[in-house]
Amino acid sequence: MSDIFDKDLLQRCISCGFCLPACPTYALTGDEASSPRGRITLMRALEPGELAADDPALVEQSSFCLGCRACEPVCPAGVRYGALLEQWRDHQWRGRRRPWPARLLMGIVARAWLLGLQGLARRHARTRPAPAGPSLLLGCVERGLYPGVSRAAVRLRPELAAPSRQGCCGALHAHNGDSAAGARLARTLGGRLPGTIVTTAGGCAAHLAEHLGRDRVREFGEYLAEQGHRPAGEVRVAGRRARVALQDSCHGRNALGVHRQPRQLIAAVADYVELPGAADCCGAAGTYALLRPHDSRRVLAPKLAAIEQADVDFVVAVNPGCLRQLRRGLRGSRVRAVHLAELLALAGGNGPYPPGRR
Amino acid sequence: MRLGATAVRALTKAVGEEHVRFTPGELAPYRRDATPLFTGHPDAVVFPADTGEVAAVLGVATEHGIPVVPRGAGSNLCAATVPSHGGIVLVLTRLNRILELSRDELLARVQPGVAVARLAETAAHAGLLYPPDPGSRGVATVGGTIATCAGGLRGLKYGVTRNYVLGLEAVLPTGETIRTGGRLWKDVAGYDLTRLLTGSEGTLAVITEATVALLPMPSHSRTGVAYFGSLAEAGQAVSAILAAGVVPATLEFLDRKCVAAVEAHARLGLRTDAGALLLFGDDGPIEVVAGNMVRIRTLCTEAGAWETTLAEDVAAADALLAARRCSLPALSRLGALTILEDATVPRPRLADMVARIDEIADRHGLHIATFGHAGDGNLHPTCVLDPGEHGAADRAHKAFAEIFAAALELGGTITGEHGVGAAKLPFLADRVGDAQLALLRRVKQAFDPAGILNPGKLGS
Ligand SMILES: Cc1cc2nc3c(=O)[nH]c(=O)nc-3n(C[C@H](O)[C@H](O)[C@H](O)COP(=O)(O)OP(=O)(O)OC[C@H]3O[C@@H](n4cnc5c(N)ncnc54)[C@H](O)[C@@H]3O)c2cc1C
Ligand code: SF4
Ligand code: SF4
Repeated sequence: MSDIFDKDLLQRCISCGFCLPACPTYALTGDEASSPRGRITLMRALEPGELAADDPALVEQSSFCLGCRACEPVCPAGVRYGALLEQWRDHQWRGRRRPWPARLLMGIVARAWLLGLQGLARRHARTRPAPAGPSLLLGCVERGLYPGVSRAAVRLRPELAAPSRQGCCGALHAHNGDSAAGARLARTLGGRLPGTIVTTAGGCAAHLAEHLGRDRVREFGEYLAEQGHRPAGEVRVAGRRARVALQDSCHGRNALGVHRQPRQLIAAVADYVELPGAADCCGAAGTYALLRPHDSRRVLAPKLAAIEQADVDFVVAVNPGCLRQLRRGLRGSRVRAVHLAELLALAGGNGPYPPGRR
Repeated sequence: MRLGATAVRALTKAVGEEHVRFTPGELAPYRRDATPLFTGHPDAVVFPADTGEVAAVLGVATEHGIPVVPRGAGSNLCAATVPSHGGIVLVLTRLNRILELSRDELLARVQPGVAVARLAETAAHAGLLYPPDPGSRGVATVGGTIATCAGGLRGLKYGVTRNYVLGLEAVLPTGETIRTGGRLWKDVAGYDLTRLLTGSEGTLAVITEATVALLPMPSHSRTGVAYFGSLAEAGQAVSAILAAGVVPATLEFLDRKCVAAVEAHARLGLRTDAGALLLFGDDGPIEVVAGNMVRIRTLCTEAGAWETTLAEDVAAADALLAARRCSLPALSRLGALTILEDATVPRPRLADMVARIDEIADRHGLHIATFGHAGDGNLHPTCVLDPGEHGAADRAHKAFAEIFAAALELGGTITGEHGVGAAKLPFLADRVGDAQLALLRRVKQAFDPAGILNPGKLGS
């Protein structure tokens, strides 16, 4: 017996198969091996050494999994698949076995000063730390790629402090085979940002909640709803109220249970359109889009079709990875992908225009 | 068994390299299904794309004497897809198209890999109802549910899967393709092979297409719950409802342990202090449904119900039904090894059977939680164990053998809907007798002279 997995967690699954229809990779293949239940069976074969870690199926399936955790809320037995996947990747992707792009990224974001440099080129929000919070997490991807999101967030909620030196939450590490570093980074960040931490990234929110406690962490839409935020204005397109859809954040929805709030906020400023499959992963999935671009696009394809069919003007993301994925997918389309904060700022008349650009 | 190089080449040729698996890691997920404690060792997993490829694979298997286990979603609870003799697991999930949906003829033609819920939802969009509704509807396939003749939450008024299968296309182990029945509502040309294949558990032929009957969608439906002091009292309410001539679509019950487990997952605000919950539901014209709801609630109250409530809207009703569907996996929160059974008795003996189960559980010192399709007399006593506890599984098996015997004594059966598979095969003779068992074997011989289709299960 080895100790790759927490035994209680691994034992929980009774192989009922309830999770199969929720899994995007099973939907692609119809192969049990790429289903949550099949992956747990593989983990169970790995644990006692029946299969070696370099078995091609283990290598493939641990990486093919999106880590979207859609299999969790549907599991009546309460299997914590996300935790199992972290443990699996800790073993499967240890040291040099980790794909190099993930290694490179992890090296960069673990250095707070390097992250801070992005601020020189990109004007993300920046305020002094507030001793009691609430604080806005700038996010290592978002502050570089979409600095407009934090600016919009702070404009909507001026009480949010956004100090520049905050570091990375560690989700990237936890999802890519170094959950110890992931936990450490989360705790460090928790020390740097006092009080409630508000984040515009569902993935970061879930990871921080895991390590700092659910109480300290609020996903942005959740925070607005809790503060009784009344969105001002209206988003209009071509003389009419805009039609706006939402792409849920997998971890925001599946790990934190946040899904009502962003919908209500959108509906306050535009005509909300529920996409079929709004809750399903868009294929961004953290480093997935980088590591498995082909599969990432396969997962995205039905979503793009649904967006086009729904005839919407905007599709809202609540996670920077999803935002990037949707923007790339929607290149050449009439539909714009924006972050929730940007949409609300736009409705209030103080957002960037045209939205969806930097 | 191991596959020879020629067989490997032939299988690869039959479906293409991408759709065969031979390595230990790729095979591991196919060692088992949803049944605990049963595992096998497949030598290959094959994913055919169409009827022709299924025939080609069966041809290779017959030629080389390789066992073939057809598999849909692997959600069955009788170890019917466990490759106990090795060989090929034939996965039918790539045959996943709904070929036709006819409102004029009230039928659908579907491939076997389509999930039941997908068929039902597609039918619902066209204003039609596909009544078979197993708890596993989201995952279970049309092929698998036909091959096990699955029941479900609407069995009382609507019957089970067999009542909706009009015709089948199936490939025999010898490689021939047959079409039984069809689009006709009446057709008595020949033995009723459609019914024979329905419930044949992948031992006679591989189903490659099904024509199923649909009904117009009822205009209204209501669902409610009643709470009782004990499961036996709930059983009495069920008898009273049926005796009063009310046949609702759904009458399901859960005992206290099940309610607590389900509530822990679904958080619907179910009462966890009651001894049992009865879930009732009906559909049809609004006056009929409303009338039946009143009668059922009155009868429940007369039988001693603490409280009865109706779900306010469709979403609330769906949430209740979804909660009932997840009873089995939710129960595993109480212990990671859950062994569930499927004893079924004539409806008036339901309360007796419940009492017998309680007595047996107590005597063996086991935690047995019971839920089931009360209206069908179909009980799922579920033993929840700690897999680490020494000898616990043995005690559970002893207790279940007694539960089967009790069911038979009360005029019931060893399995109402989950099937025989490898799990119930040792008990089959007790239910059907030696003469019938011998006949089953001769039927199996006629379809599958080489004995390659799902050996070690029905007909073996
Ligand atoms: C939580 C839970 C709840 C359940 N609730 C119910 C319920 O309410 N009612 C009920 O009846 N069952 C229920 N089941 C049992 C199970 O879902 C059913 O037996 C279902 O019919 C199995 O479908 P499947 O696609 O998973 O088939 P599989 O498990 O893959 O196969 C079942 C059998 O069918 C054969 N088979 C599959 N496809 C074909 C084919 N195309 N041609 C020939 N043979 C084939 C297999 O060889 C096997 O013998 C439940 C199971 C679970 C885990
Ligand atoms: S993870 Fe949960 S839903 Fe999936 S098979 Fe295991 S117990 Fe069932
Ligand atoms: S995390 Fe997502 S992709 Fe991975 S097994 Fe669960 S549902 Fe499937």
